[in-house]
Amino acid sequence: MNINAALIEQVQVALAEALQTPVDAITPELALGDLPQWDSMGHMEVMMLLEQKFGVEINADTIAALISVPAICDYIDQNHLTS
Amino acid sequence: MNTLEITPQTTIPDHLVGEVQSKLAYVDETIVKARVAENGEKILLEVSEIVDEKLRLRLEDKVQRVVTTMTQGAFRPKVQVLEDHLSRSVPFREDPTTELLRRGEIHCEANGIFSLGPLVTRLVEFFETRFLGLADSFNANPYRFPTLIPARYLERVNYFRAFPHSLTFATHLREDLDAIDHFAQHAGCDAHGNLNQPPESFAQIQALLSPAVCYHLYFALADKPLPGGQMVATAVGNCFRYEAINLVSLERLWNFTMREVIFIGGKDFVLESRETARTRMSQVFEEIGLAYRVETANDPFFIGEFRKQAAFQSAFQLKYELRASLPFKDSTLAVGSYNYHQDFFGRHLNITLPDGSPVHTGCTAFGLERMAYAFLSQYGLDAQQWPQVVKEHFNE
Repeated sequence: MNINAALIEQVQVALAEALQTPVDAITPELALGDLPQWDSMGHMEVMMLLEQKFGVEINADTIAALISVPAICDYIDQNHLTS
Repeated sequence: MNTLEITPQTTIPDHLVGEVQSKLAYVDETIVKARVAENGEKILLEVSEIVDEKLRLRLEDKVQRVVTTMTQGAFRPKVQVLEDHLSRSVPFREDPTTELLRRGEIHCEANGIFSLGPLVTRLVEFFETRFLGLADSFNANPYRFPTLIPARYLERVNYFRAFPHSLTFATHLREDLDAIDHFAQHAGCDAHGNLNQPPESFAQIQALLSPAVCYHLYFALADKPLPGGQMVATAVGNCFRYEAINLVSLERLWNFTMREVIFIGGKDFVLESRETARTRMSQVFEEIGLAYRVETANDPFFIGEFRKQAAFQSAFQLKYELRASLPFKDSTLAVGSYNYHQDFFGRHLNITLPDGSPVHTGCTAFGLERMAYAFLSQYGLDAQQWPQVVKEHFNE
Protein backbone atom coordinates (compact mmCIF):
# COMPACT_ATOMS: atom_id res chain seq x y z
CA MET A 1 0.00 0.00 0.00
CA ASN A 2 1.24 3.46 -0.87
CA ILE A 3 0.98 5.58 2.26
CA ASN A 4 1.56 9.26 1.81
CA ALA A 5 4.61 10.80 3.40
CA ALA A 6 2.58 13.28 5.43
CA LEU A 7 0.78 10.49 7.28
CA ILE A 8 4.04 8.66 8.00
CA GLU A 9 5.45 11.86 9.41
CA GLN A 10 2.37 12.44 11.59
CA VAL A 11 2.68 8.93 12.98
CA GLN A 12 6.40 9.37 13.60
CA VAL A 13 5.73 12.59 15.54
CA ALA A 14 2.98 10.89 17.57
CA LEU A 15 5.21 7.92 18.42
CA ALA A 16 8.05 10.22 19.43
CA GLU A 17 5.71 11.98 21.82
CA ALA A 18 4.30 8.75 23.24
CA LEU A 19 7.72 7.16 23.67
CA GLN A 20 9.36 10.39 24.81
CA THR A 21 12.15 10.06 22.30
CA PRO A 22 13.52 12.31 19.51
CA VAL A 23 11.48 12.06 16.35
CA ASP A 24 14.51 11.03 14.29
CA ALA A 25 14.68 7.82 16.36
CA ILE A 26 11.30 6.84 14.91
CA THR A 27 12.32 5.39 11.56
CA PRO A 28 9.64 4.57 8.96
CA GLU A 29 10.10 0.82 9.57
CA LEU A 30 10.35 0.96 13.40
CA ALA A 31 8.52 -1.80 15.30
CA LEU A 32 7.63 -2.71 18.87
CA GLY A 33 10.79 -3.79 20.68
CA ASP A 34 13.20 -1.94 18.36
CA LEU A 35 13.68 0.85 20.92
CA PRO A 36 14.01 0.28 24.69
CA GLN A 37 11.18 2.81 25.14
CA TRP A 38 8.84 0.83 22.88
CA ASP A 39 8.27 -1.98 25.37
CA SER A 40 4.94 -3.18 26.79
CA MET A 41 4.29 0.02 28.74
CA GLY A 42 5.56 2.17 25.89
CA HIS A 43 3.27 0.33 23.50
CA MET A 44 0.26 1.14 25.63
CA GLU A 45 1.32 4.81 25.65
CA VAL A 46 1.49 4.63 21.87
CA MET A 47 -1.99 3.10 21.73
CA MET A 48 -3.47 5.79 23.95
CA LEU A 49 -1.91 8.58 21.93
CA LEU A 50 -3.16 7.01 18.69
CA GLU A 51 -6.63 6.93 20.20
CA GLN A 52 -6.36 10.57 21.21
CA LYS A 53 -4.84 11.88 17.98
CA PHE A 54 -6.32 9.62 15.33
CA GLY A 55 -9.40 8.12 16.97
CA VAL A 56 -7.97 4.60 16.80
CA GLU A 57 -10.18 2.24 18.81
CA ILE A 58 -8.08 0.43 21.40
CA ASN A 59 -9.00 -3.18 21.85
CA ALA A 60 -7.21 -6.52 22.01
CA ASP A 61 -7.03 -6.72 18.21
CA THR A 62 -5.57 -3.27 17.64
CA ILE A 63 -3.14 -3.60 20.55
CA ALA A 64 -1.78 -6.80 19.01
CA ALA A 65 -1.85 -5.59 15.40
CA LEU A 66 -0.49 -2.05 15.51
CA ILE A 67 3.07 -3.00 16.34
CA SER A 68 5.07 -1.07 13.75
CA VAL A 69 5.04 2.28 12.02
CA PRO A 70 3.89 0.72 8.70
CA ALA A 71 1.10 -1.24 10.46
CA ILE A 72 -0.11 1.91 12.22
CA CYS A 73 -0.01 3.95 9.00
CA ASP A 74 -1.89 1.23 7.09
CA TYR A 75 -4.56 1.04 9.77
CA ILE A 76 -5.08 4.79 9.92
CA ASP A 77 -5.14 5.05 6.14
CA GLN A 78 -7.57 2.12 5.65
CA ASN A 79 -9.92 3.38 8.31
CA HIS A 80 -9.79 6.95 7.01
CA LEU A 81 -8.65 8.30 10.35
CA THR A 82 -6.88 11.64 10.45
CA SER A 83 -5.25 13.66 13.16
CA MET B 1 -19.55 -5.45 62.47
CA ASN B 2 -19.55 -1.91 61.06
CA THR B 3 -20.48 -1.53 57.45
CA LEU B 4 -20.11 1.11 54.82
CA GLU B 5 -21.73 1.32 51.39
CA ILE B 6 -19.95 3.30 48.71
CA THR B 7 -21.26 4.24 45.26
CA PRO B 8 -18.32 4.31 42.85
CA GLN B 9 -18.01 7.40 40.67
CA THR B 10 -17.84 5.08 37.67
CA THR B 11 -19.68 1.78 37.39
CA ILE B 12 -17.25 -1.11 37.57
CA PRO B 13 -17.54 -3.13 34.34
CA ASP B 14 -18.16 -6.85 34.76
CA HIS B 15 -14.71 -7.86 33.51
CA LEU B 16 -13.10 -5.76 36.27
CA VAL B 17 -15.31 -6.71 39.24
CA GLY B 18 -12.96 -9.45 40.47
CA GLU B 19 -9.84 -7.35 39.91
CA VAL B 20 -11.23 -4.32 41.76
CA GLN B 21 -12.62 -6.45 44.58
CA SER B 22 -9.24 -8.12 45.15
CA LYS B 23 -7.50 -4.72 45.32
CA LEU B 24 -9.94 -3.38 47.93
CA ALA B 25 -8.17 -5.66 50.41
CA TYR B 26 -5.20 -3.28 50.32
CA VAL B 27 -7.12 -0.01 50.68
CA ASP B 28 -7.12 0.37 54.46
CA GLU B 29 -6.17 -1.69 57.51
CA THR B 30 -9.65 -1.27 58.97
CA ILE B 31 -11.30 -3.20 56.12
CA VAL B 32 -12.09 -6.80 57.06
CA LYS B 33 -14.34 -7.64 54.12
CA ALA B 34 -14.97 -5.96 50.77
CA ARG B 35 -17.40 -6.81 48.02
CA VAL B 36 -18.44 -5.27 44.72
CA ALA B 37 -22.23 -5.56 44.43
CA GLU B 38 -25.20 -4.57 42.27
CA ASN B 39 -23.47 -5.03 38.92
CA GLY B 40 -20.55 -2.84 39.85
CA GLU B 41 -22.64 0.06 41.14
CA LYS B 42 -22.02 -0.50 44.86
CA ILE B 43 -19.09 -1.39 47.06
CA LEU B 44 -19.86 -2.91 50.45
CA LEU B 45 -17.22 -2.74 53.15
CA GLU B 46 -17.11 -4.33 56.58
CA VAL B 47 -14.68 -2.50 58.85
CA SER B 48 -13.22 -3.15 62.25
CA GLU B 49 -13.95 0.32 63.67
CA ILE B 50 -17.05 2.42 64.15
CA VAL B 51 -17.50 4.39 60.94
CA ASP B 52 -17.42 8.05 61.93
CA GLU B 53 -17.31 10.88 59.38
CA LYS B 54 -13.52 11.00 59.34
CA LEU B 55 -13.18 7.27 58.62
CA ARG B 56 -15.99 7.35 56.07
CA LEU B 57 -14.29 10.16 54.12
CA ARG B 58 -10.93 8.39 54.28
CA LEU B 59 -12.31 5.08 53.05
CA GLU B 60 -14.47 6.65 50.38
CA ASP B 61 -11.55 8.68 49.02
CA LYS B 62 -9.26 5.65 48.81
CA VAL B 63 -11.91 3.37 47.32
CA GLN B 64 -12.77 5.93 44.65
CA ARG B 65 -9.07 6.20 43.79
CA VAL B 66 -8.83 2.46 43.26
CA VAL B 67 -11.97 2.31 41.14
CA THR B 68 -11.10 5.35 39.04
CA THR B 69 -7.52 4.26 38.41
CA MET B 70 -8.52 0.76 37.40
CA THR B 71 -11.62 1.50 35.35
CA GLN B 72 -11.06 4.79 33.52
CA GLY B 73 -10.00 4.01 29.97
CA ALA B 74 -9.83 0.30 30.77
CA PHE B 75 -9.72 -2.04 27.81
CA ARG B 76 -12.00 -5.05 27.74
CA PRO B 77 -9.81 -8.15 27.49
CA LYS B 78 -10.49 -10.70 24.77
CA VAL B 79 -10.72 -13.96 26.67
CA GLN B 80 -9.75 -16.93 24.54
CA VAL B 81 -10.56 -20.38 25.86
CA LEU B 82 -7.96 -22.91 24.75
CA GLU B 83 -9.37 -25.94 26.56
CA ASP B 84 -12.72 -26.37 28.28
CA HIS B 85 -13.22 -29.48 30.41
CA LEU B 86 -15.30 -27.84 33.12
CA SER B 87 -18.22 -30.15 32.36
CA ARG B 88 -16.12 -33.23 33.15
CA SER B 89 -18.09 -35.29 35.65
CA VAL B 90 -16.70 -35.28 39.21
CA PRO B 91 -18.27 -36.99 42.24
CA PHE B 92 -17.95 -34.29 44.95
CA ARG B 93 -19.28 -30.78 45.50
CA GLU B 94 -18.33 -29.67 49.00
CA ASP B 95 -15.59 -27.48 50.38
CA PRO B 96 -13.10 -30.01 51.81
CA THR B 97 -11.54 -27.45 54.18
CA THR B 98 -13.65 -28.19 57.27
CA GLU B 99 -13.10 -31.93 57.02
CA LEU B 100 -9.38 -31.52 56.33
CA LEU B 101 -9.07 -29.34 59.45
CA ARG B 102 -11.13 -31.78 61.53
CA ARG B 103 -8.94 -34.72 60.51
CA GLY B 104 -5.74 -32.77 61.12
CA GLU B 105 -4.84 -33.10 57.43
CA ILE B 106 -4.27 -29.36 57.30
CA HIS B 107 -3.37 -27.05 60.15
CA CYS B 108 -3.81 -23.28 60.00
CA GLU B 109 -0.84 -21.59 61.70
CA ALA B 110 -2.01 -18.09 60.78
CA ASN B 111 -3.92 -16.41 57.98
CA GLY B 112 -2.54 -17.81 54.73
CA ILE B 113 -0.05 -20.09 56.50
CA PHE B 114 -0.97 -23.78 56.51
CA SER B 115 0.92 -26.98 57.26
CA LEU B 116 -0.11 -30.12 55.38
CA GLY B 117 -0.73 -33.59 56.81
CA PRO B 118 0.01 -36.95 55.18
CA LEU B 119 -2.96 -37.10 52.81
CA VAL B 120 -2.48 -33.68 51.26
CA THR B 121 1.29 -34.16 51.24
CA ARG B 122 0.92 -37.41 49.29
CA LEU B 123 -1.47 -35.70 46.88
CA VAL B 124 1.08 -32.94 46.35
CA GLU B 125 3.71 -35.62 45.75
CA PHE B 126 1.42 -37.28 43.21
CA PHE B 127 1.03 -34.04 41.25
CA GLU B 128 4.77 -33.51 41.53
CA THR B 129 5.38 -36.85 39.74
CA ARG B 130 3.28 -35.55 36.85
CA PHE B 131 4.98 -32.16 36.72
CA LEU B 132 8.39 -33.79 36.92
CA GLY B 133 7.26 -36.05 34.09
CA LEU B 134 6.58 -32.92 32.05
CA ALA B 135 10.03 -31.56 32.94
CA ASP B 136 11.64 -34.89 31.95
CA SER B 137 9.86 -34.83 28.60
CA PHE B 138 11.85 -31.65 27.86
CA ASN B 139 15.07 -33.04 29.40
CA ALA B 140 14.88 -30.11 31.79
CA ASN B 141 17.86 -29.54 34.05
CA PRO B 142 16.99 -29.45 37.76
CA TYR B 143 17.75 -26.38 39.85
CA ARG B 144 17.33 -25.42 43.52
CA PHE B 145 16.76 -21.81 44.43
CA PRO B 146 16.75 -19.94 47.75
CA THR B 147 13.59 -18.76 49.44
CA LEU B 148 15.07 -15.29 49.88
CA ILE B 149 15.60 -12.98 46.94
CA PRO B 150 17.69 -9.79 47.05
CA ALA B 151 15.70 -6.55 46.85
CA ARG B 152 17.98 -5.23 44.10
CA TYR B 153 17.05 -8.22 41.91
CA LEU B 154 13.34 -7.45 42.07
CA GLU B 155 14.05 -3.77 41.54
CA ARG B 156 15.88 -4.59 38.31
CA VAL B 157 12.81 -6.25 36.77
CA ASN B 158 10.36 -3.52 37.89
CA TYR B 159 8.65 -5.88 40.34
CA PHE B 160 8.16 -3.12 42.92
CA ARG B 161 6.07 -1.07 40.47
CA ALA B 162 4.00 -3.98 39.23
CA PHE B 163 3.23 -5.91 42.44
CA PRO B 164 4.04 -3.79 45.53
CA HIS B 165 0.91 -4.94 47.36
CA SER B 166 1.91 -8.59 47.52
CA LEU B 167 5.56 -8.26 48.59
CA THR B 168 6.84 -9.97 51.74
CA PHE B 169 9.97 -8.54 53.31
CA ALA B 170 12.72 -10.27 55.26
CA THR B 171 14.82 -8.62 57.90
CA HIS B 172 16.84 -9.42 61.03
CA LEU B 173 17.93 -7.64 64.17
CA ARG B 174 20.56 -4.97 63.65
CA GLU B 175 24.09 -6.01 64.47
CA ASP B 176 23.94 -4.14 67.75
CA LEU B 177 24.50 -5.83 71.09
CA ASP B 178 22.09 -3.52 72.90
CA ALA B 179 19.33 -4.09 70.38
CA ILE B 180 19.82 -7.86 70.45
CA ASP B 181 19.95 -7.93 74.26
CA HIS B 182 16.81 -5.82 74.45
CA PHE B 183 15.04 -8.13 72.04
CA ALA B 184 16.09 -11.24 73.96
CA GLN B 185 14.79 -9.77 77.20
CA HIS B 186 11.55 -8.19 76.02
CA ALA B 187 10.35 -9.71 72.74
CA GLY B 188 6.85 -11.13 72.76
CA CYS B 189 3.65 -11.13 70.80
CA ASP B 190 0.42 -9.27 71.53
CA ALA B 191 -3.04 -10.78 71.33
CA HIS B 192 -3.08 -10.30 67.55
CA GLY B 193 0.24 -12.09 67.09
CA ASN B 194 2.16 -8.87 66.45
CA LEU B 195 5.75 -8.81 67.67
CA ASN B 196 6.08 -6.05 70.25
CA GLN B 197 9.45 -4.70 69.12
CA PRO B 198 10.06 -1.24 67.62
CA PRO B 199 10.98 -0.99 63.91
CA GLU B 200 14.39 0.51 64.78
CA SER B 201 15.45 -2.85 66.23
CA PHE B 202 15.48 -4.28 62.75
CA ALA B 203 18.00 -3.89 59.95
CA GLN B 204 17.30 -2.20 56.63
CA ILE B 205 15.57 -4.57 54.25
CA GLN B 206 17.89 -6.08 51.66
CA ALA B 207 15.99 -9.26 50.89
CA LEU B 208 12.44 -10.39 50.34
CA LEU B 209 10.73 -13.74 50.37
CA SER B 210 10.64 -14.85 46.78
CA PRO B 211 7.37 -14.29 44.88
CA ALA B 212 8.25 -16.68 42.04
CA VAL B 213 10.66 -19.47 41.18
CA CYS B 214 11.87 -18.70 37.65
CA TYR B 215 13.24 -15.24 38.50
CA HIS B 216 16.19 -16.85 40.26
CA LEU B 217 17.23 -18.60 37.07
CA TYR B 218 17.06 -15.43 35.00
CA PHE B 219 19.25 -13.62 37.53
CA ALA B 220 21.75 -16.50 37.50
CA LEU B 221 22.01 -16.08 33.72
CA ALA B 222 22.15 -12.27 33.74
CA ASP B 223 24.73 -10.17 31.90
CA LYS B 224 26.10 -12.87 29.68
CA PRO B 225 25.28 -14.84 26.54
CA LEU B 226 23.07 -17.89 27.09
CA PRO B 227 25.28 -20.96 26.62
CA GLY B 228 24.02 -22.98 23.66
CA GLY B 229 21.35 -20.41 22.85
CA GLN B 230 18.49 -22.22 24.58
CA MET B 231 17.71 -24.19 27.72
CA VAL B 232 14.94 -25.84 29.71
CA ALA B 233 15.10 -25.99 33.50
CA THR B 234 12.84 -27.03 36.34
CA ALA B 235 12.64 -26.14 40.01
CA VAL B 236 10.21 -26.17 42.89
CA GLY B 237 10.18 -23.52 45.56
CA ASN B 238 8.35 -21.70 48.29
CA CYS B 239 6.69 -18.54 47.01
CA PHE B 240 5.16 -15.67 48.95
CA ARG B 241 2.38 -13.34 47.85
CA TYR B 242 0.61 -11.40 50.55
CA GLU B 243 -3.12 -11.12 49.88
CA ALA B 244 -4.41 -9.49 53.10
CA ILE B 245 -8.09 -10.32 53.77
CA ASN B 246 -8.22 -12.33 50.55
CA LEU B 247 -6.17 -15.11 52.17
CA VAL B 248 -8.59 -18.04 52.38
CA SER B 249 -7.86 -21.70 53.25
CA LEU B 250 -5.68 -23.56 50.73
CA GLU B 251 -7.32 -21.50 47.98
CA ARG B 252 -5.23 -18.42 48.62
CA LEU B 253 -2.07 -18.91 50.67
CA TRP B 254 0.52 -16.36 51.66
CA ASN B 255 3.21 -19.05 51.58
CA PHE B 256 2.75 -21.64 48.84
CA THR B 257 4.80 -24.02 46.73
CA MET B 258 5.25 -23.71 43.01
CA ARG B 259 6.75 -26.16 40.50
CA GLU B 260 7.97 -24.52 37.33
CA VAL B 261 9.34 -25.69 34.01
CA ILE B 262 11.25 -22.79 32.47
CA PHE B 263 12.06 -22.20 28.79
CA ILE B 264 14.77 -19.80 27.61
CA GLY B 265 15.90 -19.20 24.03
CA GLY B 266 14.57 -17.72 20.81
CA LYS B 267 10.94 -16.64 20.42
CA ASP B 268 9.84 -19.68 18.41
CA PHE B 269 11.52 -22.13 20.80
CA VAL B 270 9.85 -20.60 23.85
CA LEU B 271 6.40 -20.34 22.26
CA GLU B 272 6.55 -23.88 20.85
CA SER B 273 7.71 -25.24 24.21
CA ARG B 274 4.88 -23.48 26.03
CA GLU B 275 2.36 -24.97 23.63
CA THR B 276 3.91 -28.44 23.87
CA ALA B 277 3.79 -28.22 27.67
CA ARG B 278 0.11 -27.29 27.58
CA THR B 279 -0.71 -30.16 25.23
CA ARG B 280 1.19 -32.69 27.35
CA MET B 281 -0.44 -31.49 30.56
CA SER B 282 -3.84 -31.73 28.90
CA GLN B 283 -3.27 -35.51 28.61
CA VAL B 284 -2.19 -35.68 32.26
CA PHE B 285 -5.28 -33.83 33.47
CA GLU B 286 -7.48 -36.06 31.35
CA GLU B 287 -5.89 -39.11 33.00
CA ILE B 288 -6.55 -37.59 36.42
CA GLY B 289 -10.09 -36.59 35.47
CA LEU B 290 -9.66 -32.99 36.51
CA ALA B 291 -12.46 -30.59 35.57
CA TYR B 292 -10.75 -27.43 34.33
CA ARG B 293 -10.40 -24.81 31.67
CA VAL B 294 -7.41 -23.05 30.13
CA GLU B 295 -7.97 -19.45 29.11
CA THR B 296 -6.09 -16.23 28.48
CA ALA B 297 -5.55 -14.15 31.62
CA ASN B 298 -3.44 -11.44 33.15
CA ASP B 299 -1.32 -11.09 36.27
CA PRO B 300 -2.72 -9.21 39.29
CA PHE B 301 -0.84 -5.96 38.68
CA PHE B 302 -1.34 -3.20 41.23
CA ILE B 303 -3.79 -0.45 40.41
CA GLY B 304 -1.41 2.04 38.76
CA GLU B 305 0.09 -0.49 36.39
CA PHE B 306 -2.98 -2.65 35.99
CA ARG B 307 -4.77 -1.02 33.08
CA LYS B 308 -1.87 -0.96 30.66
CA GLN B 309 -0.03 -4.12 31.69
CA ALA B 310 -3.14 -6.27 31.84
CA ALA B 311 -4.31 -5.04 28.44
CA PHE B 312 -0.93 -5.76 26.90
CA GLN B 313 -0.74 -9.24 28.44
CA SER B 314 -4.22 -10.04 27.27
CA ALA B 315 -3.82 -8.71 23.72
CA PHE B 316 -0.60 -10.64 23.13
CA GLN B 317 -1.86 -13.78 24.94
CA LEU B 318 1.17 -13.85 27.20
CA LYS B 319 -0.57 -15.78 29.97
CA TYR B 320 -2.78 -18.84 29.79
CA GLU B 321 -4.33 -19.73 33.12
CA LEU B 322 -5.24 -23.28 34.12
CA ARG B 323 -8.45 -22.87 36.12
CA ALA B 324 -9.78 -25.90 38.00
CA SER B 325 -13.42 -26.22 38.89
CA LEU B 326 -14.48 -25.72 42.50
CA PRO B 327 -17.90 -27.38 42.25
CA PHE B 328 -19.01 -26.36 45.75
CA LYS B 329 -19.02 -22.69 44.79
CA ASP B 330 -19.70 -23.03 41.06
CA SER B 331 -16.46 -21.23 40.45
CA THR B 332 -12.92 -21.87 39.28
CA LEU B 333 -9.50 -21.48 40.85
CA ALA B 334 -6.23 -20.73 39.03
CA VAL B 335 -3.99 -23.70 39.78
CA GLY B 336 -1.35 -23.11 37.15
CA SER B 337 -0.32 -21.02 34.18
CA TYR B 338 1.55 -21.17 30.90
CA ASN B 339 3.47 -17.92 30.51
CA TYR B 340 5.43 -16.14 27.80
CA HIS B 341 7.43 -13.09 28.89
CA GLN B 342 8.61 -12.11 25.39
CA ASP B 343 12.15 -10.68 25.72
CA PHE B 344 11.36 -8.79 28.96
CA PHE B 345 13.90 -10.65 31.12
CA GLY B 346 16.38 -10.90 28.25
CA ARG B 347 16.38 -7.12 27.86
CA HIS B 348 16.25 -6.14 31.52
CA LEU B 349 18.88 -8.66 32.60
CA ASN B 350 21.03 -8.57 29.46
CA ILE B 351 20.80 -12.29 28.67
CA THR B 352 21.64 -12.72 25.00
CA LEU B 353 21.32 -15.21 22.16
CA PRO B 354 24.36 -16.05 19.99
CA ASP B 355 23.36 -13.25 17.58
CA GLY B 356 23.45 -10.72 20.43
CA SER B 357 19.68 -10.21 20.64
CA PRO B 358 17.93 -10.66 24.00
CA VAL B 359 16.58 -14.11 24.88
CA HIS B 360 12.87 -14.80 25.16
CA THR B 361 11.58 -16.64 28.21
CA GLY B 362 8.51 -18.53 29.29
CA CYS B 363 7.44 -20.89 32.01
CA THR B 364 4.75 -23.26 33.11
CA ALA B 365 3.95 -22.91 36.80
CA PHE B 366 1.76 -25.05 39.03
CA GLY B 367 0.62 -24.20 42.54
CA LEU B 368 0.94 -27.48 44.41
CA GLU B 369 -1.35 -26.75 47.37
CA ARG B 370 -4.02 -25.29 45.10
CA MET B 371 -3.78 -28.30 42.81
CA ALA B 372 -4.37 -30.65 45.76
CA TYR B 373 -7.18 -28.44 47.05
CA ALA B 374 -8.94 -28.37 43.66
CA PHE B 375 -8.62 -32.14 43.37
CA LEU B 376 -10.12 -32.67 46.84
CA SER B 377 -12.90 -30.21 46.00
CA GLN B 378 -13.79 -32.34 42.98
CA TYR B 379 -13.17 -35.84 44.39
CA GLY B 380 -13.50 -35.50 48.16
CA LEU B 381 -11.46 -37.21 50.86
CA ASP B 382 -12.76 -40.72 50.27
CA ALA B 383 -10.02 -42.37 48.24
CA GLN B 384 -12.53 -44.93 46.89
CA GLN B 385 -14.00 -42.10 44.82
CA TRP B 386 -10.67 -41.11 43.34
CA PRO B 387 -9.46 -41.83 39.80
CA GLN B 388 -7.50 -45.08 39.53
CA VAL B 389 -4.21 -43.37 38.71
CA VAL B 390 -4.31 -41.37 41.95
CA LYS B 391 -5.33 -44.40 44.02
CA GLU B 392 -2.40 -46.35 42.59
CA HIS B 393 0.02 -43.66 43.70
CA PHE B 394 -1.30 -43.92 47.25
CA ASN B 395 -0.96 -47.72 47.18
CA GLU B 396 2.68 -47.63 46.04
